[in-house]
Amino acid sequence: MTAALAVVAEGLGKIFRPPADLGEMLRGRFYGAPLEALSGVSFTVGAGEIVCVMGPNGAGKSTLVRILGGLLMPSSGSARVSGVDVVTGGAAFRRRVAFVVGEERSFHFRVTGRANLHYFAALHGLSAADARRRSAALLERVGLASAADRRYREYSRGMRQRLALARGLLADPEVLLLDEPTLGLDPRGARDLRAFLRDDVIRKTGRTAIVCSNDPTEAKAMSDRVLFLDGGRLYADAPPDRIDAELGL
Amino acid sequence: MNGLAWFGRVMWAFMRRELSALGGYRTAFIIRMLGLVLAIGAMVFLARFVGAAANPYLSGYGGNYLGFMVLGLLAAEFQQVGVSGLAERIRMAQMMGTLEAELATPAPPWMVLGAPPMYEFGAAAMRSAAYLIAATLLLGLELGRANWLSVALAVPLVIAAFSGLGLLAAGTTMLVRRLNPVAMIIGSLSFFLSGVLYPVSVLPGWLRALAQLLPLTHALAVLRGALLVGAGPAALARSFVALLIFAGVLAPVGAAVFAYALRRARIDGSLSHY
Repeated sequence: MTAALAVVAEGLGKIFRPPADLGEMLRGRFYGAPLEALSGVSFTVGAGEIVCVMGPNGAGKSTLVRILGGLLMPSSGSARVSGVDVVTGGAAFRRRVAFVVGEERSFHFRVTGRANLHYFAALHGLSAADARRRSAALLERVGLASAADRRYREYSRGMRQRLALARGLLADPEVLLLDEPTLGLDPRGARDLRAFLRDDVIRKTGRTAIVCSNDPTEAKAMSDRVLFLDGGRLYADAPPDRIDAELGL
Repeated sequence: MNGLAWFGRVMWAFMRRELSALGGYRTAFIIRMLGLVLAIGAMVFLARFVGAAANPYLSGYGGNYLGFMVLGLLAAEFQQVGVSGLAERIRMAQMMGTLEAELATPAPPWMVLGAPPMYEFGAAAMRSAAYLIAATLLLGLELGRANWLSVALAVPLVIAAFSGLGLLAAGTTMLVRRLNPVAMIIGSLSFFLSGVLYPVSVLPGWLRALAQLLPLTHALAVLRGALLVGAGPAALARSFVALLIFAGVLAPVGAAVFAYALRRARIDGSLSHY
């Protein structure tokens, strides 16, 4: 049974301690008031499953996927993705998991989409020739082949998100963590990207995916199951047809 | 895969990306080239002005103020690259959001963060070579007596010491989340005390003692001794030992502080914001 689980989270908690402001420092404190972003979150995701994490802004969705992506250390609890611990897994973990963030700041603006991908391919250990081949194939796959040699700053929002997706697929990961993948896209662009993600990127390859979103349309279109977070706590784990009821829509 | 071969791939891709980005910085590149020409012009007139008088302080450097000054400025720039380069890159990468994306790849942090300073040191070495060639061809700088063995022994020690300072500055930048004063203080103190434009011997005794605590002082002593008067490693042993101590202490301390800062960033969630 455990072998079929791609993600196992047990009692995940996260408390942020923001830096102190001047007044607090004068009172001898280095940190401001602690902020509990996640508390006792436990769940599992089966291999090949698409799970959506929903909740209002500040619910802890991004904190959760950042922990699962190994980019943020939990304050309590533990998580394993593809059988590897997210805190101690190191390179083996990062080869199996890709974290695709919807925001557009994570590329170098002054170079082309292709050059950006080549650099990330090198960070994945690909040789220059393999990086060229893999990047070209992925750019074709995400529909950016004709724009590959344009500078990133000239890309539209949708193109940037597609490039982020191509980057996430460089190492052919087993698990995809997607944080608001269609954020800011127009309805048609969002629909097309969702269909592409669901059918081509996830279903066809048997990958597991966790998608953060607060868009019910997205969750219904993509997911097998939905986790509902609020105030850092997991309060429901339900099928997509329960979304409206759980969100009180 | 061998870590060194992997780093080679990262370095190559990083260089290609940086060179490709240069096309977007045409104005900055032109301004930098203009700055280089003006700096060489300033050296010509300063050397003509100072070099005209017999100066007892320069006797230990073959009376060669032009060489003295050029080497002082080049070493100061190397220190600047080492101390500020990584800190500034990290600050930018945090602000841009690229740091988090790069650290999400299987490449270990030393590889992600090692490429930028290596590139900067390489670029600084090329600029230094261009300065030295220009000073030799256009200004008559004489390097015929140089002891290249001393230079070859000194360069890795100097880079290790400056990199240690750089890691320290970068670590504190990550911890305090603003451009920290470490780089600025070290840069200003070194320019004042280490003998960039004038020999340390002109300073009063207590400032001379303070100057010994800065790696640039010893880097300059070795490089000037080797390049201007042809001093061998034995003659420069005191400065070599000082550089060895700086490299041996600063590199591991800087690495430890930086590793701690990176861990804190993963705890605080500040990899992607500043």
